[in-house]
Amino acid sequence: MINLLSTALATLVFCAPGYPGGAGDAQPYLDQFVKSAAAASGWPAGSLAAIYDPTEAGGIAKLESPSVALAFVPYPFYVEEAGKLHLAPLVQANVANVGTTEIWTLVGRNGASLAPASLAGFTLLSNAGYAPDFVRRIALAGFALPADVKIEPTGQILSALRRVASGEPVVALLDQTQMGAVASLPFAAQIQVITRSPPLPVALVAVVDSRLPAQRAHALQAGLLKLGEAPGGADNLGTLQLNGFVLPKLPQMGVSP
Amino acid sequence: MSIRRLLVVMATTLATAALGACSVAPQRATPPAASGPPPRQAAAPVAIPKAEPLASIAHAIEADAKQSDAETNGKARAELALDATRRANDCIGRAPQAAACLYGSALALGLEARVHPTRAMGLLKEMLENLARAEQADAAFADAGPARVTAQVLLKAPGWPIGPGDADKALAAARRAALLKPDYPPNQLVLGQALEKSGDSSAAQEAYAHARRSALAMPASQDRIAWLKDANQGLVGK
Repeated sequence: MINLLSTALATLVFCAPGYPGGAGDAQPYLDQFVKSAAAASGWPAGSLAAIYDPTEAGGIAKLESPSVALAFVPYPFYVEEAGKLHLAPLVQANVANVGTTEIWTLVGRNGASLAPASLAGFTLLSNAGYAPDFVRRIALAGFALPADVKIEPTGQILSALRRVASGEPVVALLDQTQMGAVASLPFAAQIQVITRSPPLPVALVAVVDSRLPAQRAHALQAGLLKLGEAPGGADNLGTLQLNGFVLPKLPQMGVSP
Repeated sequence: MSIRRLLVVMATTLATAALGACSVAPQRATPPAASGPPPRQAAAPVAIPKAEPLASIAHAIEADAKQSDAETNGKARAELALDATRRANDCIGRAPQAAACLYGSALALGLEARVHPTRAMGLLKEMLENLARAEQADAAFADAGPARVTAQVLLKAPGWPIGPGDADKALAAARRAALLKPDYPPNQLVLGQALEKSGDSSAAQEAYAHARRSALAMPASQDRIAWLKDANQGLVGK
């Protein structure tokens, strides 16, 4: 039984609501990653598989499946679903050109009031809009976002910023990459920063509902932490624009498997 | 970010994969006399006749794109992309400002981006530049192909700040294509997709219905079947 558990196929679900994409031709990249991760972890070849789902509902459905043991998810998704899906963080991604954390920035039209109350009745658009709990409780912790602000997901953040700049009752919550590119927009002068989040994790690999035996989980954790040093590991990490992984350091929610 | 970057690769691959199917010309029941060589095997070297009409070269590149859509073998796709690039270079060398060459070159870049997803962002940018120049040279070429393909790229490519995807500009381009050649089904289909993405479901339905009517009015062909399928999917919101 122990042997069966140690060699059973574990599936890792990549889920990233708010960003474009689909599985299709991307599968080879996932396959390379999990092959490399399994090898670095001392898992038998073929004992780790990966699938991808770009939607929140699809990702949740897959993660609810008893056959799925691991999740690779952005932090907003983790905040929103960790309780329901019983996600236990294993490692935190170290992203090329970003690092292990990122800052989210709330922006509005330049010249408008920065006071939270002035946003009453506004719509907040963000790639992370699918995770309102993350937006209110984590990213905008300390900023009293009015209760009637509608938080909506968007994959069209440029359109959202155009709406902000044109004076619509809209604000946008930008991730670090987006905020870094605002200055290049022709209407950048119409955008101002309202508030910023503390540094927050970017993405995590987590065990789902204790479906991975502790021994295997620890082996995988150790393997992922040293993946960059494994043969071919750095290349596979680079394909995903990853530098590697670190132990998770989560604000308020850190739990080890 | 890691997942985001991964998605860039995914989305770019998928976007470029989707471009060919949308951008190619219809499989005409009677191909134009100058439509060039018969269907080719991907690996076979192709000698480009010096006197081959420019439009015929663009048509051959479209054929490469169509063949690439159906191809699952990466090596075969790479060969198709090479062939398209060779044809595009030949065309551009002969007439650098011709809409046919700029359009063909754009399609070839799309095929190259499909083969090399890690370089796709730069290739897509160049593709959009060529399409803009093609549209300026002859907006009606390939049934308003430059504007239509521009819309498709802007709809499917990863959005700002990672890629050139831009739903607002896609809608504007789709409107230009549909205005110029309203009864060419792919123009209405891409308009429907752009309207849908911008949140105007009602107008999107009208565009899909228009595409369906236009397709039904055309002679039977594989393209007609595909257009009707896409229009029907749009109408039922799939």
